[in-house]
Amino acid sequence: MPWTARLRQRAFRSQPADRAPVILRHSRIYILPSRRGLAIIATLVLMLLTSLNYALSLGLALTFFLGGLAAAALLHTFRNLAGLEIKPLAAGDAFAGEPLAFSVALAAGALARRAIELRAAGATASVSLASHATQAIELRVPTTTRGRIALGRITLSSDQPLGLWRGFAYVHFPLAGVVFPAPELNAPPPPAGAEGLGELAAGANTESDLAGLQDYRPGDPLQRVAWKAVARGAGWFSKAFEGSGGRGAVELAYRSLPAALTAEERLARLSAWVLACERAARPFALALPGVHLPAALSREHLHEALTALALFDAGES
Amino acid sequence: MAASPPRPLGPAQIRALGVLLVAAQLPLVVHLPVWVAAFGLFLAGLRFALLRRDERLARLRPARIPSWALALFAVAIALALRKSYGYFVGRDPCVAFLFVLAGIKFLEIRTTRDGTLLACLAMFVALTPFFYSQSLLGALAMLPAIVAAGVALEALAVRDPGAAGPSIRAAWTRSASLVAQGLPIAAGLFLVFPRLATPLWGLPADHAARSGLSDRMAPGSISELSLSDAVAFRVSFDGPPPRPEDRYWRGPVLSLFNGREWSALPPRPGGSLARGDRTIRYTVTLEPDDHRWLFALDLPSSLPAIEADSSVNAPKVGSLARDLQLVARAPVTQPLRYVQESVLGDRHPAASAGELRIDARMPPSNPRAVAFAQSLRSRYPNDREYIGAVLRWFRDQPFHYTLQPPLLEDHPVDAFLFDTRRGFCEHFASAFVVLLRAAGIPARVVTGYQGGEINPRGGYMIVRQSDAHAWAEAVVDGQWQRFDPTAVVAPSRIERGLYGSVPASDPVPLFARGDTGWINHVQLALDAINYRWRRNVIEFDHDRQRALWRDWGVDRFPPWQAAMAVTAAVLAWAVAVFATFAVRRRRGERTARLWSALCRRLARAGLPRPPWEGPIAYAGRAAQRWPQFAIAFDAIGSAYAMLRFGPVSEDERSALVATLARAIEVLPSPASLRATAHS
Repeated sequence: MPWTARLRQRAFRSQPADRAPVILRHSRIYILPSRRGLAIIATLVLMLLTSLNYALSLGLALTFFLGGLAAAALLHTFRNLAGLEIKPLAAGDAFAGEPLAFSVALAAGALARRAIELRAAGATASVSLASHATQAIELRVPTTTRGRIALGRITLSSDQPLGLWRGFAYVHFPLAGVVFPAPELNAPPPPAGAEGLGELAAGANTESDLAGLQDYRPGDPLQRVAWKAVARGAGWFSKAFEGSGGRGAVELAYRSLPAALTAEERLARLSAWVLACERAARPFALALPGVHLPAALSREHLHEALTALALFDAGES
Repeated sequence: MAASPPRPLGPAQIRALGVLLVAAQLPLVVHLPVWVAAFGLFLAGLRFALLRRDERLARLRPARIPSWALALFAVAIALALRKSYGYFVGRDPCVAFLFVLAGIKFLEIRTTRDGTLLACLAMFVALTPFFYSQSLLGALAMLPAIVAAGVALEALAVRDPGAAGPSIRAAWTRSASLVAQGLPIAAGLFLVFPRLATPLWGLPADHAARSGLSDRMAPGSISELSLSDAVAFRVSFDGPPPRPEDRYWRGPVLSLFNGREWSALPPRPGGSLARGDRTIRYTVTLEPDDHRWLFALDLPSSLPAIEADSSVNAPKVGSLARDLQLVARAPVTQPLRYVQESVLGDRHPAASAGELRIDARMPPSNPRAVAFAQSLRSRYPNDREYIGAVLRWFRDQPFHYTLQPPLLEDHPVDAFLFDTRRGFCEHFASAFVVLLRAAGIPARVVTGYQGGEINPRGGYMIVRQSDAHAWAEAVVDGQWQRFDPTAVVAPSRIERGLYGSVPASDPVPLFARGDTGWINHVQLALDAINYRWRRNVIEFDHDRQRALWRDWGVDRFPPWQAAMAVTAAVLAWAVAVFATFAVRRRRGERTARLWSALCRRLARAGLPRPPWEGPIAYAGRAAQRWPQFAIAFDAIGSAYAMLRFGPVSEDERSALVATLARAIEVLPSPASLRATAHS
C-alpha cells in the first residue's frame, strides 16, 4: 500500500481492516466542536473582544472561566471514548426490505460511559454503560436489494458531558450479512413432486389434504408438529398429509421458469417457492446456473438455498 | 459535525436554563433602573410559573405566548428604554435591552436550538455588570452563573429529556468540578492573554455623568459634590503621609470667568516640573470619572508613570499642562493607577506677563465687589499687603462656612460678599479671585481635593468626593502662590476636614464624619480589601501585563520557545486532569482485585469458579458449602453484582466496596475453609 493510502486508511478507516476487538485510543479519536460548541465559542470570542476593548479585567476573568470549563469538557469528551472496547458479534440475515441486524459488543472498561452513539450504514443506536459493563448492541440496517451487505464503517461518537464537543472514532470490521431476495407476493404454487417433475401441480393445496396425526418421531420436520395437540398436553404428534410422503422432492430450477421473467423476478419466485416448500415440509432441490443443491429438508438447507439465491450473480445466466 | 435536528426541551432543561439566566441577571439588577430590573426578573418568574402550571395540569401542549406578541413586546420595551434613557444606541440602554430580551427569549424557548441561543445570551448578560463595577463582590456574584452555565449545558446535552436525570445536587457538583478543572486554564489565560493598549473600537460616549470634579465651577457645584461619599482616589505613600495642611490635591485650574461661572482653558502642554527638596513619592489609584484630570499633591515634580521605575523611558500615563495640571492620555473610564512624585510647596514660577493677561481678565459684572476692591486697593498699593488685607477682611467679617449656602441670583459674588455671607469653598475662592482681579492682580481658581483619610488597615489614604475643594492662586512677586480663603474663615476645614468645620445640622455624608464608631471600622476594613483587589486584579492591564512578562523574561524568549512553553503547560494540565480520573478509576479496580482474590482463595479451598458462573450463583454455592459464612457470602455476592452490573452512584459505590472488603475479611484462610467444608 502506498503511504498515502495507508494514511487515508489510518485517518478514515475506509477498508474493513479492523480485527476484533478494537480498543479506542487517542490515535483513533477525533474531537471537533459541535454546533452548540461553535455557538458558545462565538459567544466567548464576543465576550473576549468586549472585555479587551473596555479593559474589563473581570469580564476577561469570566470569559476565561467559561473557556476553562469548555476545555475541561473537551478532556471529558475524550475520556468518554478513550479505552472503550468494541468487537463484532454477528451479522444476521434478512429478506430485502426488512432491516438487517448486525450486532457488536461494547465493553466499558474501567470507566462508566455516557451516551455513546453508534452509527453505521444508516442505522443508529445509543448506549450508556456502567464501568466494567459489556453490552451487545444491535444495529438494524435498512435493506433494499439482495446480496451480501457489509455493515461498513461504524462511527462511535459522543458529545458528553456538555454537548460542546463531538468526539468520534471510526471502526471498520469485515462484518457482512446476507440479504435474501424478497419472496414474490402471490407467487404461483411450487411445481409438483418427483412424479410430475417439471410440471406445475395446479391447485395443490397441501393443507386440505390432512390425513391424520401420527406419533412424532425425532427427525420429523417441525412444521408438521401438531402444536395444538402439544399445547393441550395430549402429547407429541406429527401431522400426516395425504400423499405427502410419496410426492418426493421438488426440483426448483432457475432455467425452467418462464422466459418472460427477469432474473430478479425469477429469484423472487424461487425465494417464494423455497419458503413454500419449507412451510409444506416438502424436500426441495435448487438448481441455479452454476449452483446445484441436492434435495433436502432442513433449516440448514433452507438457509443454504436462500443464500445461494441472495448471492446468485444474474449476469451469468 | 452532528447535524442533529433540534429536539424539544424537557422541563428539567428549561429549569436549568432559567437558573442560568437568573444567575446571570441578578448581579446586573443593581445597575439597572428599577422597572427594567423588576420586569426582566418577572419574565423569568412567569416562565417558571407557567412550567409549574403545565406540570400540575399534566398538559400535553405547554402554555405558549405567540411569537408575534413577544416581538411586539420587545419593540415596546425598546421604545420605553429610549424614553427612559433619552437615547437608545448606547451602552446603558443596550445592556438594559439585552437584560429584558433574554427574559423574553426565555419565555418562548421550545427546542434545544432556542436553548443554545439562550445560554449564549445569558453568558453575555453575565459579563455586563462589569461595565459598571468590578468590585470583589461583583466577582463573587459571577461565580454562580459560571457553574449554572455548566449545569445548563449538561442538561441541554441530555438526549432523552423525559428520562430522570441526575439529581440537581449531583449536576451542580459535577459542573463545579468541571469549572475547577478548567481553573488552571482560566488563570493561565488571565496572565498571558495579551491585553490591548488602546481600544479596538471607539468607546461610545457615556451619557451619564459620574460624580467628580469638572472643568466648570458654578456656585453650588462643589458643595453638591461634597455630599457624596464616593471614593475619588486612593493613595499609598512611599514614606510618611504629608501633614493635613499639605494635602492639596491639584486638579482642574479654572482661569476663565463669565461673571458667574468659572471654567478651565483647554490644557496647553509644556508645564515645567517643580524642583525642590521636600519630595514625596506615592501611588494614586484613581476611580474612573470620564475626565482627563489626574490628581497630584501640589506641586507635581514628575510625570505620572505606570510603574515605580525611575528610568526616563518608563511609560507615562499623562502629561503636564502649563498651569501644572496633570492630563491623562485619554478619559479615565477604568480605574487608573500611577506613580507620582511631588514637591510639597505652595509657590511656583509664573509665566510671562502676556500669558497672565487671561488670569487678570474681569467681565463687567459684580459691580459692588469691583468697587470694594478698588477702594481697598487705593489703601494698599503693594500686592502682598493688598492680599493680606483681603484675607483679613474675610476673617473679620461674619462669613459662615456651610454646605447649604443660600441660592444666589445675578452677580453672585456681590450677593455672597455683601448680602448672604454664607458659602462653601467655591464661593470663597471665587470671591477672593474676583477681588484680586478687580485690583489688577492675576489670580485663578484651583479645584481639587483637600485632605484625605488614612485607612489604618491598609496603610493608605482614601480621598473622597466629600474632600472636594476649591482654592486660589495669585501672582505675587513673579510667582504663583496658593491662597486658601476657606482656611481663613474655617481653619478647621484644613485641619480636621469637612465634618469639623460646617454646622452640625449640615448633611455631611456619613464617611466624611470621621469617627462614627464600628460602621467606620467595617467600612475601612472593606475598603482595604477592595483596594488590594483593585491593585492586583482589576488594574492588571496591558502595561502591567507587559511589566510582568518583563519580570519573567518572556520578552527575551523567541516566539517558538514561548509557544512551546504554552503547549507544555496545556499538556501538563491535561495530564493532571487525567491523573485525577485515574485516582477515581483505581477505586473501580479495587473491586476487581477484591473479587479475583476471593475467587483464588475459594479455589484453593476447593471451590473454583467456572468462568460462566455469575457472582450471585457462585456466592450461593459457597454459602451452601460453608453455611457458617452464609451471610458473608450473601453480602459478597450481592455487593459485587451491584458494583459490576448495577447502576450505582459514587456514594453507593464506595459504601459497596467497603462492604465487599469487610465481608471478605471475615472469611478464614483457605486451609481452614477446606477443613470446615460442608459437603
